[in-house]
Amino acid sequence: MAEDNREPLAGAGALREALWALLPPTKEELVPELGEKVELGMARLLQEATELFCGGRRSECLQASEAILDYSWEKLNTGPWRDVHKDWRRVYAFGCLLKAVCLCDEPGNAPAVAEALKVCDMGLLMGAAIHGDILIKVAAILQAHLPSGKRPGPARQQPGTKKARNDGVPVPDVASERPVPRLRCPSLQHFRKQFLAPGRPVILEGVVDQWPCMTKWSLEYIQEVAGCRTVPVEVGSRYTDEEWSQTLMTVNEFISKYIRDESRDVGYLAQHQLFDQIPELKRDISIPDYCCLGDGEEDEITINAWFGPRGTVSPLHQDPQQNFLVQVIGRKYIRLYSPQESEALYPHETHLLHNTSQVDVENPDLERFPRFAEAPFLSCVLSPGEVLFIPVQYWHYVRALDLSFSVSFWWS
Amino acid sequence: MAEERRGSWFGFGFCGFGQALGSGRGRQVHSPEPLETPGPGADVCRVSASWSYTAIVTRGGQVQLSGAAGGAAGGCRDAWASEALLVVLRAGPAVGSRPELQAWAPGSALRGEPLWTHTLVSEAEREDAAGGEPQARALPLLPGARAYVSPRPPFYRPLAPELRARRLELGGEHALLLDEAGQVFSWGQGRHGQLGHGTLEAAPEPRLLEALQGLPMAEVAAGGWHSVCVSETGDIYVWGWNESGQLALPTRSLAEDGKTISREAGWPSEGDSDVRTVGSEDGAPAPFIAIQPFPALLDLPWGAEAAQASCGSRHTAVVTTVPAE
Repeated sequence: MAEDNREPLAGAGALREALWALLPPTKEELVPELGEKVELGMARLLQEATELFCGGRRSECLQASEAILDYSWEKLNTGPWRDVHKDWRRVYAFGCLLKAVCLCDEPGNAPAVAEALKVCDMGLLMGAAIHGDILIKVAAILQAHLPSGKRPGPARQQPGTKKARNDGVPVPDVASERPVPRLRCPSLQHFRKQFLAPGRPVILEGVVDQWPCMTKWSLEYIQEVAGCRTVPVEVGSRYTDEEWSQTLMTVNEFISKYIRDESRDVGYLAQHQLFDQIPELKRDISIPDYCCLGDGEEDEITINAWFGPRGTVSPLHQDPQQNFLVQVIGRKYIRLYSPQESEALYPHETHLLHNTSQVDVENPDLERFPRFAEAPFLSCVLSPGEVLFIPVQYWHYVRALDLSFSVSFWWS
Repeated sequence: MAEERRGSWFGFGFCGFGQALGSGRGRQVHSPEPLETPGPGADVCRVSASWSYTAIVTRGGQVQLSGAAGGAAGGCRDAWASEALLVVLRAGPAVGSRPELQAWAPGSALRGEPLWTHTLVSEAEREDAAGGEPQARALPLLPGARAYVSPRPPFYRPLAPELRARRLELGGEHALLLDEAGQVFSWGQGRHGQLGHGTLEAAPEPRLLEALQGLPMAEVAAGGWHSVCVSETGDIYVWGWNESGQLALPTRSLAEDGKTISREAGWPSEGDSDVRTVGSEDGAPAPFIAIQPFPALLDLPWGAEAAQASCGSRHTAVVTTVPAE
């Protein structure tokens, strides 16, 4: 449509121009198209908020956006996550979009830009893509416009500081345990025949040597690229503990609180699709070739980041897909139990945790779980540059021996 | 039948949809204002507020909608408003015919055909509906207490007669039932502790709140993910989600000053209400409580007693009395 229904706002700055250039040109195109799951009241509010936005009525638009976010957030918290209708996540993302852009409407207001970026990240974390993944582009622009004080630069401290946290747990005696076999760049056929088809774990060497992350990634680099982005962090020793919780914070805050400082609590940036949120980091990784042996499409592969200090633990559990665990920074001690041993691993009985063992692998209560002692396993210390193939449903336990960054690929 | 004291209705909250809250000016009414009633002298006996619209029922049998949904109709005894569905209890079309439960799309303005109807058939149902007392057996509990209405299909849900339900309240994902003996039952999803049985497990059938046995309750209320009940002696018990401070227990999101992401990102904080620090015995401040899976007794200030409680999605409101010296 030719007619631009938006009124120019007073005092447009470079940031505002850049943001508005991303938006659909007309009010009609800006309102998201949604199905009937989104009820009458919300449909009206979305129309109204869009009109306020295009009419330059910033503070009223902010109020309406808050109401949009309030209500859609409740929908996102109703029922299991997988049952949340995508349209509600789109509504939430749309509320974040309006709010973020409105927040930036005050030229020269530095804290507003940082807050707007956080709002964008909330939309990316909890929302669903709208307008061609516009929130990613908005986030990139906001990040570039953060005043220099706020922009994350190289950390003042020494790189890769290993805090001498004396947790009293020794490095495991891997040499006395049955090792995971290792292969250097096996052919696709060999991998499929010997490991994928029979479901046997293996460590692949030489496969990710050329990935940029292997040379580029450090604490400083991560802070530079992603420092002010908001991410979910798990706090607590392990997700089966009572004190375990999830919270949100910026990457800078996470590094400062849980990696550099001697924090009593363990914080873990775990199981997060960081590379969807921050495309710049995605350019540093690739997809292991062996994934093409699966049935799924490449864009169905779930890529997760696992970034945390020494001592993070993932309790013994199994996943419903094949997994390539790529180790980039630091080392991890990993134990693997075959699905055939499941009974000896005493999975939780609740529906929520039925894929998780009740046993603390490195400190098992053999009175409660006697059969665990006899269950055979493979183990390894996974080091930078190595890729562990964890077959579908294979039980695995992971403990970080150093500051660690791993990337996992879930594929079928 | 006792003479009923007729009070006034007040409203407060978000009215950006033009719901008739108080003066109706602006998008938010921050403290209680008299409700705009449909027509002068209209005697309002029931108000049911959904997020984007309000249904007002008068003793004359009019139901009127205001906000994102509009419209009005007569012959109405009770109404229950939700975003997906408006449920109305109406007198039958002809004199002496059976009362009818109707479910309407809020956008229909009560014109055309309802989405669904159910004729009240049994003796118990009819007697209840014919009685003049609108406060007893309010929707979503149906007259006769043999069933209740749900905003999601199946709309008509039977209740075991042994339950002898007096009041029924629906939360976002759970249901609370108060029986004639003052016992409380809960069922539905339990992920946020809203069932009050001490776990996070769901309950498919009504299950008695054992923690409250021996304490007869007078009122129950259900929020999005929390539950409240008021005992006959004026005490308040709360359980469920406390993420937004809806249980008046210490909550991280309200306590940390501007440091949490939730605050800075402008996440909804439920006003700047006082967070009373619940102390433990040794004087140290109690830890934050995100989920309270079984009932907790709340202290009201100034020795007040609770008379009535009501819940929104993530807030709780209590009407109190202060006993005479």
